[in-house]
Amino acid sequence: MKLATTLEDVQAAASRCLRDARCTYGSWPENHVLCPIYRREPSFTFSGGGYLFLVLALLENRIDFDQSTADFAFSCAGCMVCDSNCNLIRCHTPYVGILDIIRLLRSEAVKRGFVPDGAAKKIYDEVKKTGDYGQVSELKLPEKIKSDKADTVIFAECSHARSQEDISEAAVRLLEKIGSPVSQFAEKGCCGSTLYDFGFWEQLEPLAKANWDKMKPLKDKKFVFINPHCQEFIVNRYPEILPDYSAVNNQHFSQLLADAFKDGRLKSKNTGKVKVSYHDPCYLGRGLGIYDAPREVLASLEGVQLVEMVRNRQDSFCCGARALGNYVPNLSEDTARERIKEFEDTGADLLITACAYCKDNLQKVMPGKDKQRIKDLTELVNERT
Amino acid sequence: MTLKTISSERGTVCQELKEAIGAEKVRDDEITLVTYGRVRHGFDTMWPFRKPGLVVFPETREDIVETLKIANKYKFPVTSVGTAPIMLGTTEGGIILDQRRRDRVLEINTDSGYAVIEPGVSFDKLTSALRGTGFKCSVGTMPGPGTVLGQALGRGSQSFTTRYLNVILDLEVVLPNGTVFSTGSSHFEGVGSHLRYGPYPDLAGLYTCAYGAMGVVTKAAIRIHPVNEAYRVHLAGFDNYSDALDYVKDLVNNNIPEHTFIWNWHMYLTWPLAPADMEAVMPQILESDFRKPPEGTPYNIVSSLLSGYNEQVDVYEKICAKVAQKYHGRVISDEEAEERFPATLAGFRQQYGDFHYRESVHWSKGRFAGWYVFAEPKDMKEIEKFAVSEFANFGKAINPVNYYSHPFDFGRSILLRISGFPDPTDIELRKKISKKFDEMYDVALKKYRAVPIRPIGSERAGTYMEVLRSIKKSLDPNNILNRDSGLFEEGEL
Repeated sequence: MKLATTLEDVQAAASRCLRDARCTYGSWPENHVLCPIYRREPSFTFSGGGYLFLVLALLENRIDFDQSTADFAFSCAGCMVCDSNCNLIRCHTPYVGILDIIRLLRSEAVKRGFVPDGAAKKIYDEVKKTGDYGQVSELKLPEKIKSDKADTVIFAECSHARSQEDISEAAVRLLEKIGSPVSQFAEKGCCGSTLYDFGFWEQLEPLAKANWDKMKPLKDKKFVFINPHCQEFIVNRYPEILPDYSAVNNQHFSQLLADAFKDGRLKSKNTGKVKVSYHDPCYLGRGLGIYDAPREVLASLEGVQLVEMVRNRQDSFCCGARALGNYVPNLSEDTARERIKEFEDTGADLLITACAYCKDNLQKVMPGKDKQRIKDLTELVNERT
Repeated sequence: MTLKTISSERGTVCQELKEAIGAEKVRDDEITLVTYGRVRHGFDTMWPFRKPGLVVFPETREDIVETLKIANKYKFPVTSVGTAPIMLGTTEGGIILDQRRRDRVLEINTDSGYAVIEPGVSFDKLTSALRGTGFKCSVGTMPGPGTVLGQALGRGSQSFTTRYLNVILDLEVVLPNGTVFSTGSSHFEGVGSHLRYGPYPDLAGLYTCAYGAMGVVTKAAIRIHPVNEAYRVHLAGFDNYSDALDYVKDLVNNNIPEHTFIWNWHMYLTWPLAPADMEAVMPQILESDFRKPPEGTPYNIVSSLLSGYNEQVDVYEKICAKVAQKYHGRVISDEEAEERFPATLAGFRQQYGDFHYRESVHWSKGRFAGWYVFAEPKDMKEIEKFAVSEFANFGKAINPVNYYSHPFDFGRSILLRISGFPDPTDIELRKKISKKFDEMYDVALKKYRAVPIRPIGSERAGTYMEVLRSIKKSLDPNNILNRDSGLFEEGEL
């Protein structure tokens, strides 16, 4: 695998770090601080560079690897702000990203059995028990659109997020409204995204290989992903992991919806005026560069007015869902709270996102009666078409 | 104070600090300490690993006063840092005072032309704050996230210094005993920071290039400059440095450019490349001999910022063309620059359009090895030849070899900064280069009358250092401030 696995890789990457916190904030002239952990604790330690320095210190035996190391490693939200903004680390061989090195740290923690309590521990336990982290829910595609010969294949993802089922259900209803034939790809195992992020690298390669072996015969078709984490992993990471990988034609569900509105297969109905704000999921935005399609979809909905949050597009702020460590207490919730506050400052009625993890984490900190103000794009579009 | 004593006092100092300024501003966890173990030039394995005992994140001036008082009481070493690389070592077991949270732009005075900033303010932050005010600030070759004050106090290379020597007008300083004072006009109650030189000796100079050894700077007023009706970048190409420097001197003596730079061809072709451009441009650069540009590629270009009223700038452009011809150069049109070095042109447009400096990637081969000197113009012509010849001896392993040179203070003194980019992990080569640079500084000083930009060892500075030591002993009798390299040698005093 071409992943950050050696001391030399880490040394080379760390040697380029200018210790200047460029990995923590977005575009000039706004310069918004975007790294969740740095936002909470402005310190070199809690920046991408800090993680590099820690890994090198570990490799040089300057500090013991213990539970606190794991808590620190899993505290990074994995939002890609560091790699998107620091030009220095990635620019020369071996092209190792900061986030790769943080994942390397996690994989070392997992190997040594140091895993933070909570969500990470649950994943760890399941992977230890089953060798996998996959609970895929097959989509209930209506017979009238279901066709094995269809050129479009919907990638049915695992239901790790509580919201995934509702989002998938809305997606199926939308596919039915659009009416074009589709098939689905619904394998049991994890595509590898979650395993990679959280350091389960031993199980990663065989699972990704098995998944790809089944995807390969369909690769000339168009894969449509609902969860951006799976799409980003397959598109950006499979080429590094699998020697026989060749690019697949892929689209996010928001792009499919945008196309359907454009060519008239999907029509909006006016169910009243509503102001919405859109939260760019990290893996859809910074990971895949898909910023316009969700906004085009919102613009296609009658009565819907988009009000942007201060931090948006490539300068979007993470929801905090994937910060599973305990080194900084309540980081995940506090990050979501900060994002909710930013949403409330817009005066919008609804907060729309396009990732089940984002929806779950943002809903988690929203007061009870307001939870329904956070929706996935598929759900909003399903309600208004 | 020995390391053993420092270790034994650490718990007490930590507890007192937490009580005095708040526990959330004092960190002593192992992960924080090891990640601050190599502050010098980032995680540079050339420099020793020194784990601090505590890292303090002051948010107010009073936090700094309290920290210094407690540290002074226990004779506990303190090193004040901001973001980005620094040129000083830290002390094993001591306090690192990280001022990154003190990052407010306190005042932008567009009447007099200065900005008052806290030490943690970055170039990105200040250039952003100045947008729409009709003023701009000097930007250094430091990346945007680097602190304005770090660059100014280190007296690095900066734009708009053609007509000035230094951007600092006024500093607020805290001494180890807790005394707070300002070095310029703002020391008088109610008076602004417009004047560096008051009725008393210029104390701001004591803090420039002192690397924090004389007190902790907690606030600074720096020059800002008006954005005029018109500003254009004029480019001229030359086949040798001597002609380029004569051209620059002529322009400066006639008050033409607001700012001017001489670039060698490796530098102007690789600055400020985006990652995609790197892949297109760098392979050829890495294989080339920096002394021999390809046919048609000028060895040096000179960029000059022309500003003023439109009519004035029109005339300046004509003068630049005339003077370039006089010194065997030629004007490089925007069209030619667009075709031959578009990224560089975009960089100029950014620096002289938005008046900020984005982080470029030519640094990213790793640590650069830079040699910097100031000299009079006639001497600098010889120094350039000497430095080029010495750098060529390292071969292609340090490509690209980038240099730039520019006049300070109306051309009284010329800076040459020449850098190579060895593999950052090749410590042996880098040590060899470092040793060679020391020899070159000696030769440059003795033979070419060139003054280095950084301290080069107290034995070469003689009575100058003796005076500085006396002042240091008076201001910091317990020698707690930045005592491990920087202005003084390690363990000196």
